[in-house]
Amino acid sequence: MTLTYVLMQNLRRNTLRVVLTAVAFALPMAVFVAAISFVVALAQISADMEKELRLGVHHKTTLTNPLPAGMRSKIEALDPDRRRIAAVCGMRWFGGRVPDTQNTLTSIAGDPDTFPLVYSDVGMTAQDIEAWQRDRRACVVGRNPVDTYGWKQGDRVTLVSTVPPYLQLEFNIVKIVENRERANFFWFRRDYLVESMKDAGVDDARCNIFWIKCKSAEGLRTLQQDIDALFANSPDETKSEDENAFVANFTQAMGNIPGLMQTMAMVVVVIVALVAGNAMMMSFRERTRELAVFKAIGFQSGRVFLIVLSESIMLAMGGALLGVVPAAVLLWLLPIRLTGIGPMIALEVTRLGVIGSMAIALCVGVVAGLWPAFQAMRLQTTDALRKVA
Amino acid sequence: MSTVDIELRKVRKVYFKDRLEIPVLEGLDLTIAAGEFVVLMGPSGSGKSTLLHLIGGLDSATGGSVRVGDAHLEKMSERERTAWRSRHVGFIFQMYHLVPVLTAAQNVELPLLLFSMSSSQRKERVRTALEVVGLSDRADHRPNQLSGGQEQRVAIARAIVTDPDVILADEPTGDLDAKTSEEILELLNLLNSEFGKTILMVTHDPRAASHGQRTVHLDKGVLDREELNPARPRGAAAMVS
Ligand SMILES: Nc1ncnc2c1ncn2[C@@H]1O[C@H](COP(=O)(O)OP(=O)(O)O)[C@@H](O)[C@H]1O
Ligand SMILES: [Mg+2]
Repeated sequence: MTLTYVLMQNLRRNTLRVVLTAVAFALPMAVFVAAISFVVALAQISADMEKELRLGVHHKTTLTNPLPAGMRSKIEALDPDRRRIAAVCGMRWFGGRVPDTQNTLTSIAGDPDTFPLVYSDVGMTAQDIEAWQRDRRACVVGRNPVDTYGWKQGDRVTLVSTVPPYLQLEFNIVKIVENRERANFFWFRRDYLVESMKDAGVDDARCNIFWIKCKSAEGLRTLQQDIDALFANSPDETKSEDENAFVANFTQAMGNIPGLMQTMAMVVVVIVALVAGNAMMMSFRERTRELAVFKAIGFQSGRVFLIVLSESIMLAMGGALLGVVPAAVLLWLLPIRLTGIGPMIALEVTRLGVIGSMAIALCVGVVAGLWPAFQAMRLQTTDALRKVA
Repeated sequence: MSTVDIELRKVRKVYFKDRLEIPVLEGLDLTIAAGEFVVLMGPSGSGKSTLLHLIGGLDSATGGSVRVGDAHLEKMSERERTAWRSRHVGFIFQMYHLVPVLTAAQNVELPLLLFSMSSSQRKERVRTALEVVGLSDRADHRPNQLSGGQEQRVAIARAIVTDPDVILADEPTGDLDAKTSEEILELLNLLNSEFGKTILMVTHDPRAASHGQRTVHLDKGVLDREELNPARPRGAAAMVS
């Protein structure tokens, strides 16, 4: 028998209370892990994109307000020697989904000539680029739709647009993207989209956004100013942002959910601390005499302090594990990642989420156990024993 | 078999409550010979438990000196007294105070966790202690599966498993029926006569008192009288002192 064993046995003393307290830990910890993972996933995307030196130019008011296609050449004209600009790619939101399914893919049409340059992180080989340029119906697809619908390279696939004029188009998969940050994307050629729309009687070649691959961070910053200045006071005023800012904006458009989740998680953690503190206090009160006997037997005050504190920590950590493990498994199993919340692709439990929540559980355990442990340490053995008779 | 004597000189104990002095022991003298079995009687609230706690180092006296064997408790810190207690004193209480989630054997093993001892050594000690109290066959029972008398036996085993010199029992039969009380008292007698433990036992029960070699009466802060039990002559060591 060890002291640890005694501690473990103590947790069995009032099974119902221990279980309830543990569950009170488990639930918010599960939420917390999910929230952290969410926030981390977003931060990760921002960090990855920063390296790409991409500048996004969209309408000053909203993304859904399209810009004329001719803007591309005006932007290119700003840098005739090509010192700052590597390539400009006009993009149009298609909002397609596989017929008879619910999930809208992040499906976007891009300029066939510049797409492979601007999206260099997609990692198209010379062969891929050749296939993309040869086939008007070429598409480049991320891992998630491929896995969901069982597609493979060379397949012919159909998407129906969820925005007017609700085109139904066929595509040939020329490349499957392995880059995890791009797992939700479905790119295809904008010339194909424009012509198909024209066939449907809609003459609209406008773009939602122009992505510009820059040659340096310095170039990116000056371009950003130059472009917005160029179109200022025109009917199509622009706002240029680097990709990072773009993601941040997107996040904001979602009503600052990450921040909200964090706040929520914190509030719940505080509540849990109170619940656990109360449970620990009750469990301490119930056995003041027993702890007094520990002291009478010869256990030092410091050790009795640690015994009570350890019990609280064990309860907290155990409860947290009870929440973190199922949350991790659930996030891993559930296809949340496939719903594709904008640039969010993979919502999975991060190590930071797990370590963070366990660290918080540890803190809560310490805080909840501190007062009872202190009381136990200060316990007047003689008084506690005398109250018996 | 090491036997240890106890000597209290001019012991004072004053409690403070709401800044009021509550004197409980006022210049008390008591000598207990090595290997003696002394019974302490007195009205409720007279300070019997207080006296026991002072001898066991659970509390410190306001004045005077308390010596148990070589240990001068009044000169020791609380830490030192606690460490000393774990090796030299076994407490037995009226309400047993066993840990309900541990088995009898585990309860008995508890004090040994403070000793550097291999687990097989500990097991051996626990086995012996349970044998002495006659509960070998209940080693794996939890307290709620035991009768009151059996629980008190486990508590006694827990008190003797460290092989202490002194056993301090605070109304050990206060919660037991006459027959069970008799068995517990016989057990204490055995610990005294066979194992040489010096015992101080608090009781209200005159029949229980008859098991000791000497009875001292505590009243108004001092021991006001004592009587020897002719049926239980004191050991040779006690005669000398
Ligand atoms: N912590 C304390 N503060 C104040 N008075 C106390 C305290 N502990 C005990 N007393 C008082 O000391 C007296 C002796 O108590 P105790 O030794 O328990 O008596 P007994 O065991 O003889 O019944 C009682 O009057 C009790 O009220
Ligand atoms: Mg008492």
